Amino acid sequence: MSLAGLYVKAAVGAVGPRSRELPSTELMRSVPVDRAHLAAYARVCGFAVGDVLPLTYPHVLAFPLQVELMASRAFPLPLPGLVHVRNTITARRRIDAAEELDVRVHAERLRAHPKGAQVDLVAEIAAGGEPVWHGRSTYLARGASAPDSDKFEPPLPSGIEDGPAVATWLVDAGTGRRYAAVSGDVNPIHLHPLTAKAFGFPRAIAHGMWTAAHALAALQGRTADAATYDVAFAKPLLLPSIVELRTRPVGDGWHLDVRSRKAQHLTATLS
Amino acid sequence: MPNVRKAAVIGGNRIPFARANGAYATASNLDMLTATLDGLAARFGLAGATLGEVVGGAVLKHSRDRDLTREAVLGSTLSPRTPAYDLQQACGTGLQTAVAVANKIALGQIESGIAAGVDTASDAPVALNDGLRRVLMELNGAKTPLARLKALRGLRPGQIVPEIPRNAEPRTGLSMGEHAAITAQEWQVGREEQDELAAASHRNLAAAYDRGFFDDLVTPYLGLTRDANLRPDSSAEKLAKLKPVFGKDLEHPTMTAGNSTPLTDGASAVLLGSDEWAAQNRLPVLAHVVDAQTAAVDHVHGRDGLLTAPVYAVPVLLERNGLTLQDFDFYEIHEAFASTVLATLKAWEDPAFTKERLGLDAPLGAIDRSRLNVVGSSLATGHPFAATGGRIVATLAKLLHENKGGRGLISICAAGGQGVTMILEAAA
Repeated sequence: MSLAGLYVKAAVGAVGPRSRELPSTELMRSVPVDRAHLAAYARVCGFAVGDVLPLTYPHVLAFPLQVELMASRAFPLPLPGLVHVRNTITARRRIDAAEELDVRVHAERLRAHPKGAQVDLVAEIAAGGEPVWHGRSTYLARGASAPDSDKFEPPLPSGIEDGPAVATWLVDAGTGRRYAAVSGDVNPIHLHPLTAKAFGFPRAIAHGMWTAAHALAALQGRTADAATYDVAFAKPLLLPSIVELRTRPVGDGWHLDVRSRKAQHLTATLS
Repeated sequence: MPNVRKAAVIGGNRIPFARANGAYATASNLDMLTATLDGLAARFGLAGATLGEVVGGAVLKHSRDRDLTREAVLGSTLSPRTPAYDLQQACGTGLQTAVAVANKIALGQIESGIAAGVDTASDAPVALNDGLRRVLMELNGAKTPLARLKALRGLRPGQIVPEIPRNAEPRTGLSMGEHAAITAQEWQVGREEQDELAAASHRNLAAAYDRGFFDDLVTPYLGLTRDANLRPDSSAEKLAKLKPVFGKDLEHPTMTAGNSTPLTDGASAVLLGSDEWAAQNRLPVLAHVVDAQTAAVDHVHGRDGLLTAPVYAVPVLLERNGLTLQDFDFYEIHEAFASTVLATLKAWEDPAFTKERLGLDAPLGAIDRSRLNVVGSSLATGHPFAATGGRIVATLAKLLHENKGGRGLISICAAGGQGVTMILEAAA
């Protein structure tokens, strides 16, 4: 089923009884890299078109499996309304577009949050059996309930409070549609002001993973192949917007910060 | 000011050249140049390094690609403190960037630098129709509603048709191929010898790939590991079957798609430095830049062919360096068209031409053809305009290094009636 179809199915099925526990399902798939798709992704996010996968690219390879898992009735939180609040990616080495990749996705750590319930969708990517990439996407379901967790929650990456911006982005109204086309994330909140309004947003909002990718692309040529990119999404980035990127080198890595005059959208560390 | 010294050619990197609308159809000049610089940096351990200068260029260039080379450096693993600038001289661009970098090194103004070039025929700039552009400019400058209305009255339906770059000379309206066909006829360059030269180019390039010659000169890109235009099984017999595409109105048309270069996408880069810089960084020196000469002809109103400027440049270069045309171990004559190479050689052998047009007492004479384009040239690799110079400099430097001595001549013809030539000698 297409991702759009899964969204519709999830929306229709959002009402009614749901499981209270996470399914133990693990979804697996071989994902050959389509170079035309990789090039389109690079264009939309601002990476150079090349053979090495941008650190954030495997997320879009794993994303359809995430949706498949979250759209199922066995998943305790309704897919419509889930908010992506944090994403942590670790690459062990560079991945070449010619490599054969296998993706595994599972859900874990359903836990309480002051505003509802959180869950992690974990994607692991292996090249020829060798684990090369790991992604943890944390989603928040407002108003939902879940048991408290005593597991340590790593602190959120802190913002860069002072100093001039390194770049000003004019993020146009079509950004959400363009990223939807390359990521498959066709959540209506990203596509059009009217569909976004239906979900309570004043305008369409940018995909957090687009903002994360676009910020990372600004560091092209200055990042290590093996790295962890830890991103926290704060306030939604309404489209269109003018936002500022701040970067600061810290040790071998970077702190990143994306915000507009009114709101903080993203804080991240690359280490 | 320090004494003049010879710049060292340390090595090169290029991506395989792709036929237009092939493997690199989605790649921009910036993408290809960045990938090529990164490949060079990886090969020579230059990640994070601040070099003296990067000079690069493209012939078909979008207006958004202002300072293309600097942008490529900023997106590469080189230090952002490496300065860069663009240069453009049609198909001479790539070699002229090497001249620019080598000269600064020679004068001691920089210790290291990269000469680079890139071109895409797949992602070529398509501009607004010029009539529409003028209307929009007038509209932009209009200060009153009335003036805006007046500007909009200039809109015409036909303005929707964009300006597409043409492979034609602005002043003659003829394509490069048509110009070359006229020169071919003037020098009576036969079909058979053109096809033989083309077949040799493919054969030589294929053999060079097979023996690993390009292993440290080429980095795969977007799935391509060898030049897409290469036909290892090409032969003069097969090429003889192709129909002429240029000079079809001439009495004996000879130029086909097989003995002409196709539109190509690609990029190349060459690392140059002083001997001292190379030693400090434990890098090899393959060859030195001895000298270079650029020339131009009047292809519009004069008697000379569009692509014949190197015919004039080389004698000057030889004279200044006290050399004869036979004093070379390798000749790298860019194969824009097979007929261009052959016409160039014929001109140097012709007593009347050399006396009357070059003002020389004796012709330069013939060359040993077994030393010409020994690992293939543009007919086989393809010819992304600005990337050809870098391909040839790195290739010749490696040939000289392998040869453990000797001297090589580079000759590249360019649109606009220009030509760039250079002498390299093996490092001692």
